[in-house]
Amino acid sequence: MIKVDISKCTGCKKCETICAFFRSGKVNRRLARMKVLNLYETGVDGPVVCLQCQERYCLSCPEDAIKVGSYGQIIVSQTRCTLCGVCEKACPIGAIEMFKEIVFVCDLCGGRPKCVEACTEGAIAYEPGEKEGPSLAAFKKETKKMNPSQKRQLYLKKLGSELREIWRRPDA
Amino acid sequence: MLKYGYGGRILRVDLTQRKYSIEDLDPSWVRPVIGGRAANTKRLFEELDPGCDPLGPDNILIFGIGPLTGSLLTASAYYTVTAKSPLTGILGDSAAGGQFAAEMKLTGFDQVIITGKADTLVYLLITESGVEFVDCPEYKGKIITETTEAIRRERNDYSIQVAAIGPAGENLVLFSSIVSSGNRVNGRAGMGAVMGSKNLKAVAVMGSLSLDVADPLAFLSEVEKIDKAILSHDEYQKRYQMGTTMLMKDLNNIGILPTRHFQEGVCKYVDEISGQKLARTYKVKNKSCFNCNVHCSRYYMVDDHEAEGPEFETLCSFTSRLGNRDLPFALEMSQYLNQMGMDSLSTAEVIGWIMECQEKGLVRPDDLDGLSITWGEKEKIREVVDMIVFRRGIGDRLANGATKLSEGFSKEAKKLVMQVKGLDMICGDPRGIKAYGLTYAVASRGADHLRAEPYFELTNRKEEAKKRFGTEKAADRLLEEGKAALVTYSEKIALITDSLTMCKNVGLCMDILNFENVSSLLRYGTGVDYSPDYLRKITADLIDLEHELNKKLGVNREDDTLPERFQNEPLTEGPTKGSTVDIKRMVDEYRKIHKWED
Repeated sequence: MIKVDISKCTGCKKCETICAFFRSGKVNRRLARMKVLNLYETGVDGPVVCLQCQERYCLSCPEDAIKVGSYGQIIVSQTRCTLCGVCEKACPIGAIEMFKEIVFVCDLCGGRPKCVEACTEGAIAYEPGEKEGPSLAAFKKETKKMNPSQKRQLYLKKLGSELREIWRRPDA
Repeated sequence: MLKYGYGGRILRVDLTQRKYSIEDLDPSWVRPVIGGRAANTKRLFEELDPGCDPLGPDNILIFGIGPLTGSLLTASAYYTVTAKSPLTGILGDSAAGGQFAAEMKLTGFDQVIITGKADTLVYLLITESGVEFVDCPEYKGKIITETTEAIRRERNDYSIQVAAIGPAGENLVLFSSIVSSGNRVNGRAGMGAVMGSKNLKAVAVMGSLSLDVADPLAFLSEVEKIDKAILSHDEYQKRYQMGTTMLMKDLNNIGILPTRHFQEGVCKYVDEISGQKLARTYKVKNKSCFNCNVHCSRYYMVDDHEAEGPEFETLCSFTSRLGNRDLPFALEMSQYLNQMGMDSLSTAEVIGWIMECQEKGLVRPDDLDGLSITWGEKEKIREVVDMIVFRRGIGDRLANGATKLSEGFSKEAKKLVMQVKGLDMICGDPRGIKAYGLTYAVASRGADHLRAEPYFELTNRKEEAKKRFGTEKAADRLLEEGKAALVTYSEKIALITDSLTMCKNVGLCMDILNFENVSSLLRYGTGVDYSPDYLRKITADLIDLEHELNKKLGVNREDDTLPERFQNEPLTEGPTKGSTVDIKRMVDEYRKIHKWED
């Protein structure tokens, strides 16, 4: 799985930009499978990407278009997908999102994630051995009725408040 | 049609009528201007009524980006805002990095041209389909991050980028700024006041169009060469750690750190206010503009406040330039000015000028409604800054800037305003950096380094100087020789950097861009042929165009000069001791190269 350390993220969006470029030859954050947010009022930046959560909420797909690959990654069958939006609604952190009739979610780039190579700050790491991420049950409750952008903002804000506690320590 | 790099469309917004129109960007119009700053200048040249009131509805406010803005090109994160300046009355523009420009790219508009005046406070939401005019009288008085947050929340989208004005812009402080990405500032020449005069609180952008380049793999390969040059650059580590605040010690070491309003060039307490001290004591992490690998910006926390920044100009402005040795106080001022939307350099100049004039007895407290202030008086500085933001009491006069304020005073007092063409001088004493001195004198927006940023003269590369500028002396910061040639080269690369649009710390200071690699970037990026010779030619033409525009706006030959202090009074201490600037000689030589008769 992809692991993010937001304490090292400067908000440059190289990961997001390269992610979209290597899949499409274009630059457009909406074509990326990880989305970077800059929360200017708190100084927190970070990419939000599929955490391979324990619950796998996106598997609730009614068309059976989503399955979990051998590295724990999400595989979407774009042919089975009918763009019903259930997966997008189900993900508690906004890591899966539709744009122009395609479902965008991280699939680990076939085992060599380009975002990891692009980050000069060491804020993103790839741990192929780790296939199961944290539980997002708590988030699930809080993010009902939110759109993916709002969910990402809330998730990053939570991570950010922990980071800001560390910043505030006198020995930091 | 422009298929690659460019969005290929321009957006015209009339705030009075609350109407907008979309036009195709004419390929033959844009080719010789590339984009960004140069395209904005040409637009202003063609469409501005030179006699218009800068704060009236006829002034034209232009947001511009370039063909490679927001692309894979490192640090291609800038946008330029252009208008007739209310501070100087001449060409005004100011660029900023951050995330705004990259998002503007996704709207498919290369230029947004705003005229008129709204009947109530509004913000514009620009998407690829056009503009929404949103009334926002309740935003009056909101600071920058509040405005950004409010618009994002209102729209339920946290990818929206916002360029806003703060209270200073609303109150038409003539040197108010536009701020985006929390702390990224279009600081100079009063672009915030132009927005304020149009009742325009913010421009928000949210796009979903893609940026295509003509030859993605060849473009990527050029970008990788540039990345390699950046990451292996001698100054990389230093810039990464401190950003431009590294200049506090660097300039002090050569005796040109403005201290007590340019009376001295060596600051005894520099270690207390340096970039090193800031990085060691208060920095909590690095911050970055869109797609940059230098990450030179920083987030800091002090006991009771925090923010991104500051850059060198602001740090110096509120430390040595005003005789203040308290670093957290300067950080507080930086944050306050960014959130209120006011330029730190012009703010510090008006305060510094009063401090020096009162010290010399040229301005009495009675002349300024009882205001009495001297070096490093923090409480007073804080109070005066606040009075300027809200045009309260004497702040109403100070808000017009040092040059206009000085008009009611003696000749001696007027001479002490550190300005050229009405724009307050940046932090860097020209007595010890002659090419910078020439740049301040001839720069088309007034006393500013960014028109040429001749950082080369600080890098001590004698052989390269001979090769590029015909004399080793161009690499000697204390000599006038070769500086006209150096500035003539640098101003072209600066213009290209601003037009692409890239960061000048990377493109120019780190000496990364040149006519050859820009030619490749543009060819692979836009599919349009740009030879290095063609780039040399159009940049020369564009410098001429700025000159012509300023002539229409009343600039004369005599305006290309420096304050008398730098010509006649040598510094008395440090490595620049004894030096003055022969500005006439350099300007004459520069104008001869440009074949400017008048």
